Amino acid sequence: MTGKTRTLVVAGHGMAGHRLVEELRTLDTAGAWRVVVLAEEPHAAYDRVALSSYLDGRSAAELGLPAPGLASDPRVELRLATAAASIDRAARTVTTTAGDTVGYDALVLATGSKPFVPPVPGHELTGCFTYRTLTDLDAIREAAVPGRPGVVIGGGLLGLEAANALRLLGMEPHVVELAPRLMPVQVDAAGGGVLGRRVEDRGLRVHCGVATASVQAGPDGRARAVVLADGTELEAAVVVFSAGVRPRDELAGPAGLDRGERGGFLVDGLCRTADERIWAVGECAAVSGRCYGLAAPGYRMAESVARQLCGLGGDPFGEADMSTRLKLLGVEVASFGDAHAGTDGALELSRLDEARGTYAKLVLGSDCRTLLGGILVGDAAAYGELQPFVGRALPSAGHRLLAAAG
Amino acid sequence: MSAGEVLVVGGGSAAHRFAERLHHHGHSGGVTLLGAEPAAPYHRVLLTSVLDGTLPPAALELPALPDGVRMRAGTTAVRIDRARRLVHADDGSVHRYDTLVLATGARPVLPRIPGLPRPGTSDAVTALRTLADAERVLRASPDARRTVVLGGGLLGVEAAAALARAGHEVALVHRGPHPLDRHLDADAGKLLAGRLAGLGVDVHCGREAAAYCAGKLTLDDGAVLAADTLLLCTGAVPETALARRAGLAVGTGVLVDGRLSTDDPRIHAIGDCAEHPGAAAGHLEPAWEQAESLARQLTGAGPRGAGYRGTRCVTRLRVPGIDLVRLGGRPAGAAGPGGGSGSGAGAGAGAGSAEGSAEGSAEGSAEVVTVADPARGRYARLTLHGQRVTDAVLLGLPRAIAALTRLHEHGLPVPAGRLEFLLGIEPAPPGADELPGDAVVCRCNNVTKHAITEACRAGAADVEQVAAATRATTGCGGCTSTVRKLCGMARTGGSTS
Repeated sequence: MTGKTRTLVVAGHGMAGHRLVEELRTLDTAGAWRVVVLAEEPHAAYDRVALSSYLDGRSAAELGLPAPGLASDPRVELRLATAAASIDRAARTVTTTAGDTVGYDALVLATGSKPFVPPVPGHELTGCFTYRTLTDLDAIREAAVPGRPGVVIGGGLLGLEAANALRLLGMEPHVVELAPRLMPVQVDAAGGGVLGRRVEDRGLRVHCGVATASVQAGPDGRARAVVLADGTELEAAVVVFSAGVRPRDELAGPAGLDRGERGGFLVDGLCRTADERIWAVGECAAVSGRCYGLAAPGYRMAESVARQLCGLGGDPFGEADMSTRLKLLGVEVASFGDAHAGTDGALELSRLDEARGTYAKLVLGSDCRTLLGGILVGDAAAYGELQPFVGRALPSAGHRLLAAAG
Repeated sequence: MSAGEVLVVGGGSAAHRFAERLHHHGHSGGVTLLGAEPAAPYHRVLLTSVLDGTLPPAALELPALPDGVRMRAGTTAVRIDRARRLVHADDGSVHRYDTLVLATGARPVLPRIPGLPRPGTSDAVTALRTLADAERVLRASPDARRTVVLGGGLLGVEAAAALARAGHEVALVHRGPHPLDRHLDADAGKLLAGRLAGLGVDVHCGREAAAYCAGKLTLDDGAVLAADTLLLCTGAVPETALARRAGLAVGTGVLVDGRLSTDDPRIHAIGDCAEHPGAAAGHLEPAWEQAESLARQLTGAGPRGAGYRGTRCVTRLRVPGIDLVRLGGRPAGAAGPGGGSGSGAGAGAGAGSAEGSAEGSAEGSAEVVTVADPARGRYARLTLHGQRVTDAVLLGLPRAIAALTRLHEHGLPVPAGRLEFLLGIEPAPPGADELPGDAVVCRCNNVTKHAITEACRAGAADVEQVAAATRATTGCGGCTSTVRKLCGMARTGGSTS
């Protein structure tokens, strides 16, 4: 340490960027860093995982992530509605979308993801939306027509959230999923079957195993219907694209930074780019080539980088845990560990209970003893008792899960 | 009532068992069996053991019939004169009856393949239904042992495995996506196909025979298989011609009621030729139970229910080293030794009876338990209603197969300890539920149990205070109940269990 204050620029104030700033404020007791945060959205960081609750009564302020004392912290300058536009690595400056140039000693890229919109004809029509930001949700709320059908393209976790959002807005939601089941990343075929039946009971119309062919315009030029590859035409006052995300890595090319094979700023296990002054964390980071679209791995990356900035040495980022537990349309879903039994020699045990509408699967290691992962649909109460045991001997909760309903 | 003079048309396992049980229960009248085959009654289910050389043909012979039972082998009944209660046979003989029992069995369904010689005209092409068929295969010369089995049902799979054991170079051609596709789902079918390949059987699924010419079978994808012997295991159907000509009610088989009576009260039917709503065709167990039930009814022997109500279906694959069983369910249209449900090109097998539960108890909602252990070749899929098996497939789990079969046959519930029952996995020992300190409780924020207990020790008294100190529970919230429990234990100094 030279005693001189250095400048950290954080490009992005999503969940990972926020965690980095908070962690640094905690660890940097000596005041070594001045932090400039470039937040593209007009809001400071908020809980994107709970985004849907914004349409269920929670305000933007209530969704804000806790940052005690941030506003009055002289070390941190938060510039809202201002994104990083370009990086000059030689000069060590970032030019913002507002036209300012900010010098940095360290730069952390936390630009997150953008929704992927399949390039089907009509995807740019008025009435087509994405589902990622508070601004998106404001626009959907504005366009919603109670009593009319709305179509969500994508039956993953976010797609079901979007469908629920349409339901909360009084619309009749349809979900179109290319895979043969809902939430294909988190659940298997049998679990997807139970999930599909349960959400259909809640009024959702589910169309799986079919691609979207086009969005048709009405006479007013707005989206009117979604046409599927099998010819089905779904009337739609609102169309929401929720077909996955892509890392926001457009700063990489002009700055001469490497990208991962499937996009994202290519970083090593310590989240370092090839430039020793530049890191990437969260969904925009391709850690050893792989991007992670969940909050928890982003938090771990942010904490690791904050420690490195404070000279504490960060933990290398190893296998990310992709465990998920959520409640969608009143249906609990959890997926943890090696949920799809990809481990060599793994065995799968499952129990489906039609009367209760529940499905449980456990994945055990080749010793028939070690819990490797699982899937729970309809009742995820056992998640807390099982998930911490991943990699350890199956606890009695696992035995109970496969036994008859008591 | 006395059954009087009893005439049995058929000389197979059902007829033999019936004659034996009739004698056992004290029938005093005459009993005559008309067997179409030249051999004395033999155990048809063991034909594949003749194929692989485990048993000589003579070993299949069933025990001698009781004294006083007349057996006319090589005599085919051709006509029933119901008015005069007479049966005419192909040798000109005429047989009087007071009670007539049809036990004519099933006959193979043969595919229509261009170039295929008429069965019986060539040793190189044969069905596998009779001892004569098996002996035809055995006659193949030692240097002409390239054998193609057409049809991947139970009989086809068993025959292919048996011939591979006997040193034949065996190809199995099956129309379905995997062998035994009427019984097995895709996962189990894939495992079985792998096991057959391991026995040296060259498995061709999703393929039909397109043409046969002089020891070569051409498939619909153009592949040509050398076939010194072509074995047709393309299903079987109940032999009902005699009943049909006599004007008796016939569906897929000869229709019988709980008394095993046809619509003529003096004429009964049992075994593979009979169709009863509670029994799957092509299985030995229902045939034996029907023989017993009918013998009791005809002799007025002691109670065993009011009549025949059906047999819980158990289908076993008889291949050494492959433990495979299907319980319940009902193989569609299967008949013959081991229920040759294989469907080859042009086979009409399977028309008629639909998939369904033989027990008729499939109402209400089901519970489905599965085990998939491809690395060790183990698979199970159990459908339960009220804790009882209504349909199950088990592969590679010999102990579970034995235990579950017994429960199924007696209609008993499956124990709640499913892991122990199916896989022998012991219940978690005491202490197994105690989380180790380094276990991560809050995955979202990477907080260990140790960090939480430390926070409690440092004064955090509830979930909110632990969250403030560690961030645990502030992500997805999935760990809240565990954190609350840990807080409670820290207060009381207790342990997790």
